[in-house]
Amino acid sequence: MTSLEIGLTSFPVLLLLIFLRVPIGLAMFLVGLFGLYFVTDGWNMALSRLKTETYSTFSSYSLSIVPMFLLMGHFATLGGMSTALFKAAESWLGHKRGGVAMAAVGACAGFGSICGSSLATAATMGQVALPELRRYGYSGGFSTATLAAGGTLGILIPPSVILVIYAILTEQNIAKLFLAAFIPGILAAIGYIITISIYVRIHPDSAGTREPIPYAERFRALADVWPVLLVFLLVVGGIYLGWFTPTEGAAVGAAGTGLIALVNRGLNFSTLIESFLATGRSTAMIFFIVLGAAFYNGFLALTQVPQELAQYVTSLGYSPWVVLAIILSLYLVFGCVMDSLSMILLTVPIFFPIISQLDFGLTFEETAIWFGIIVLIVVEVGLITPPVGMNLFVINSMDRTTPMVETYKAVTYFVASDIVRVIILVAFPSITLFLMRILN
Amino acid sequence: MRAATTGIEYACARTDVQKRGGPDVAIHGFMLVLARAMAVLGGIVLTALVLLTCVSVLGRGINSFLHWDPIATFMPAVSGWLLERGVGPVWGDYELVEAGIAFAIFAFIPLCQITAGHATVDIFTAYLPKRVNRVIQMIVDIVFAAVLILIAWRLFEGMMSKKQYNETTFLLQFPIWWAYLISLIASVVAALVGVYMAVVRIAEFLTMRTIVQAAEVDH
Repeated sequence: MTSLEIGLTSFPVLLLLIFLRVPIGLAMFLVGLFGLYFVTDGWNMALSRLKTETYSTFSSYSLSIVPMFLLMGHFATLGGMSTALFKAAESWLGHKRGGVAMAAVGACAGFGSICGSSLATAATMGQVALPELRRYGYSGGFSTATLAAGGTLGILIPPSVILVIYAILTEQNIAKLFLAAFIPGILAAIGYIITISIYVRIHPDSAGTREPIPYAERFRALADVWPVLLVFLLVVGGIYLGWFTPTEGAAVGAAGTGLIALVNRGLNFSTLIESFLATGRSTAMIFFIVLGAAFYNGFLALTQVPQELAQYVTSLGYSPWVVLAIILSLYLVFGCVMDSLSMILLTVPIFFPIISQLDFGLTFEETAIWFGIIVLIVVEVGLITPPVGMNLFVINSMDRTTPMVETYKAVTYFVASDIVRVIILVAFPSITLFLMRILN
Repeated sequence: MRAATTGIEYACARTDVQKRGGPDVAIHGFMLVLARAMAVLGGIVLTALVLLTCVSVLGRGINSFLHWDPIATFMPAVSGWLLERGVGPVWGDYELVEAGIAFAIFAFIPLCQITAGHATVDIFTAYLPKRVNRVIQMIVDIVFAAVLILIAWRLFEGMMSKKQYNETTFLLQFPIWWAYLISLIASVVAALVGVYMAVVRIAEFLTMRTIVQAAEVDH
């Protein structure tokens, strides 16, 4: 076999292993290891790479942002920021039709601005908002679907762990990616709120109502949100203005939220230990996938598959938009079974060279950033697509009285809203690139 | 599909050891304590790096403030005194973060291992009989243990060659093999816990009962 053939054979082998429930990171690692063996005809290359590859992957300064953001998310929860956000949004919107659900989406967006992970946002806001939604007579499936969808805002609104990984894979500027994610993130929140108002008109029994709250109380609730705003402005603003690197921003954010949690008495010895354990477990999971991907992609680069594939696709002469549509559909399909991080690490090294050779009328950097944001959204749709969207399970497991089928039914509305948004963002790249263009 | 969740409620990574006495429970308890202790140690190092980075950012901020024209012109004494005492970014903070974060990540792996926290796709295997799933789980954990041993062994070799060539970091000039060494210690614990999990899965397969349940989102 030529090395190109070995590289191409590695795809089906890898997928087979993953579908046989081999942990994704381990599967990539193994295929990379044996792939190197076959390509170089011996173990020497693989073994000598391993001498430094594990350490250099784990000791990456830019990747150290990931555990820091995870820690920050846990501290934010302990500091009562999720509760403050929901209360504020609820006091302003709760009396409207479907208002409590809208408030939940708003609070998710707010929490997303200090938390870089979708599952964490869904889980945290689920704990706060789910009991309230049910108390005001919102139907089970509608409530769980709203929170599962709202959770995806956690990853879209900066800071975002996945964008950090994408930035490193494609050698793009993290600050610019964060900036580009901002408008699509806001659009997502607005889209979900519109979806909610459509849903409650089609299913009037699915939401209860309550009396409006006096304005004095509303402003008091709003005032409690200032720590969130402060941390967001400091971290994202500081990174963008060049006060500090993204890693330093994450450190400042983690320290800031930790301090707030300490002042609010949410942080004590036992919750600190819990945060360490939760951060540690997620970090290990993420970095094992990153390690597997580094090893696999190293092997793949040696076989020249990404370059050959990119040239082959360009030589076919299809319209760039058709190629993009095919790639995005693949993401949608795979998103139904695979988690977003694994998907990004697995596919971006293959798809990015293809996309960067196509002409969308944008500069190379603009194409890279625009593609990153769209891929991020599309893989996040996978988190709420039945039958196996992760967020659906996280939220559904918190509400034992709601059958999964009810969640599935209600979430289709949100998936539809996502797809409309993807089409809009694909058709008009300037929506994504607007902030980046004017601020440069 | 299953992935380790980041929600705090899944944090404690519970594992169910069947409620009965016996040596295997004691061993499991020991391994669990070991894995958690390593994770907490990793968390402490992570926190230290967070604080170090903040101090560095703050120091750099104050430093540029003191160099700022109005301050340097009107308060030269104060400014000069502070600058002489080295108010500025922490020297070599970048290198400390790199060495520390590698240790922290290696130290987090045992916990992920013992709580079966790695991301998997189990939509297709859900249709397979329970026995087949146990076989798969057993093979996966045996291979995983082998890979963790391989990683630890290569890390050791990497450390030895860094030591042999006396490689040091650029700014702080500390030997790189020191950083490899602390990572290696955590990596050996990860391999140990990995081997233990492989043994657990073999026992599970032979006795057909669940000893360690994945702390997954159940569905």
